[in-house]
Amino acid sequence: MLYTPETYQIEKDLVQWCKTGESVTIPGTRQKGLDQYRRLLRNNIHNAMEQAFPIAFTVLTESQWDTLIDDFHANHPAATPQVWKLPEEFYTFVEAHRYAEKFSLPFLNDLLHFKWIEIAVHTMEDQQPEPYRNEGDPLADTIVVHPEHSIIRLKYPVHLYAAEEALAHEGDYFLLPFRTRDFDVRFVDLPALHAFYFEQIKQGKTGVKLLKELEQSSGKILNTKALKQNLLGFIQTMFSQGIFCGYQAGI
Amino acid sequence: MQPSIQTGIGFRREIADDFFGQTVLQPDFIEMAPENWVGLGGYWGDVFRRVTECYPVILHGLSLSIGSPEEPDWTFLKEVKKMIRKYNVKIYSEHLSFAKLDNAHLYDLLPIPFRKDAIKHIVKRIRQVQDFLEMQLTLENVSYYTPVAAEMRETDFIREIVAESGCGMLLDVNNVYVNAHNHGYNAKEFIDQMPLDKVNYFHMAGHLQVAPDLIIDTHGEPIIDPVYDLFDYTTAKMGKNVPVLLERDFNFPEMEELALEMKKLREITAKNSKHHVIHA
Ligand SMILES: [Fe+2]
Repeated sequence: MLYTPETYQIEKDLVQWCKTGESVTIPGTRQKGLDQYRRLLRNNIHNAMEQAFPIAFTVLTESQWDTLIDDFHANHPAATPQVWKLPEEFYTFVEAHRYAEKFSLPFLNDLLHFKWIEIAVHTMEDQQPEPYRNEGDPLADTIVVHPEHSIIRLKYPVHLYAAEEALAHEGDYFLLPFRTRDFDVRFVDLPALHAFYFEQIKQGKTGVKLLKELEQSSGKILNTKALKQNLLGFIQTMFSQGIFCGYQAGI
Repeated sequence: MQPSIQTGIGFRREIADDFFGQTVLQPDFIEMAPENWVGLGGYWGDVFRRVTECYPVILHGLSLSIGSPEEPDWTFLKEVKKMIRKYNVKIYSEHLSFAKLDNAHLYDLLPIPFRKDAIKHIVKRIRQVQDFLEMQLTLENVSYYTPVAAEMRETDFIREIVAESGCGMLLDVNNVYVNAHNHGYNAKEFIDQMPLDKVNYFHMAGHLQVAPDLIIDTHGEPIIDPVYDLFDYTTAKMGKNVPVLLERDFNFPEMEELALEMKKLREITAKNSKHHVIHA
């Protein structure tokens, strides 16, 4: 760096002012201009977050929202050069600093997570599935999963109910957002068992192997016939949604 | 620059849906911010693919932050370089300002102190970036709302950086107008002192006057007549034709209105290019 410490400090002071509004003395500045910069920078954050999290923006009180924006703006060193990715940093900031507890809004993290994951799946880079064939045995063959998806676990079903209402339905919710071939994002609600199936199949396990393992580990408690039907139904749903593409080719 | 690349428009998500299939707006090129498109798949990735198939692209970055104390973000610049190669980009422009500090992004352009040490620092950075990209960097004069610990005039600051670094200049005529108003100098005299032979790209935009002594460079309004006049003055002084961009970032009007603004820019360029030597 060829800046003198003084010039470096001037830039630091200017940024500090913009982020916190704590008054600084920088030679030759005009307060009116400094005010504009603070307003512009904060607005950029506010607008980007309001656009990404419209429900959170509505559910939070004005002062809660302003607190989040001000704290994030003042304290978070934004890592991404791409402002459309900033909502992820905002969501993790809110979670890490426990605003859900501070505001007594237990669903807040889930609300932000749910919206972020929708953006993430909508914008994720195009990815091709492994080579696959269309014909195969749903239980005996290895299934190819389309990579343009994600899977998240929520405590409050903010995808099913209005945020406040979701509070009454606390539980374990698995949600599988995926991108359709015409670029929409759809969500599939998965019972815990299906989320387990999904992860196993994604790792390349066949239905037959999966059933066998379940049988072995559960003793005689499970009804294997019912389990098989349940797994088949799940696989069919995944195929019909396009999340499962086909059967591993070349085997 | 091919003679056909003359008048362009900033391509943003907000205009994408109206852009395809229309014939009202016929830009010779589009300008895109790599930050808004790098790594995008799905719907927007498809839009990007389609638009880059139809139009030559000029890149206009937002996050290079040439006036930052820290090293440039080489990882992101690598992506920019790929884009430059893939889409045969002839101009990669950025801002003579800083937009991050100690690697924390600010998503806006802050004014660099006009000081000797800043010139040295920035010249070194420009050279590093040009070496890395293996092409010339083009830097834009930015609008600013307060001077910051200036030790010299803005014109000297810009001239010295351009002369010493070998970078090109993107002359934003509206920014000159805005700054002249906000800081009380004469816009034409400012233009007179710019290294016009190094200018390889123009920006033209609208702005918003929020107080008698304060104009904000919004890119959300139509270009006003005094800025067209300043563009006329500048292009008449230039010895060559360079592309000009209509910058509109929000508050988008009908396509017809944007087309009229582009038409006006074309007319002014055509009028003043009669006397220019054509550089093929
Ligand atoms: Fe500009």
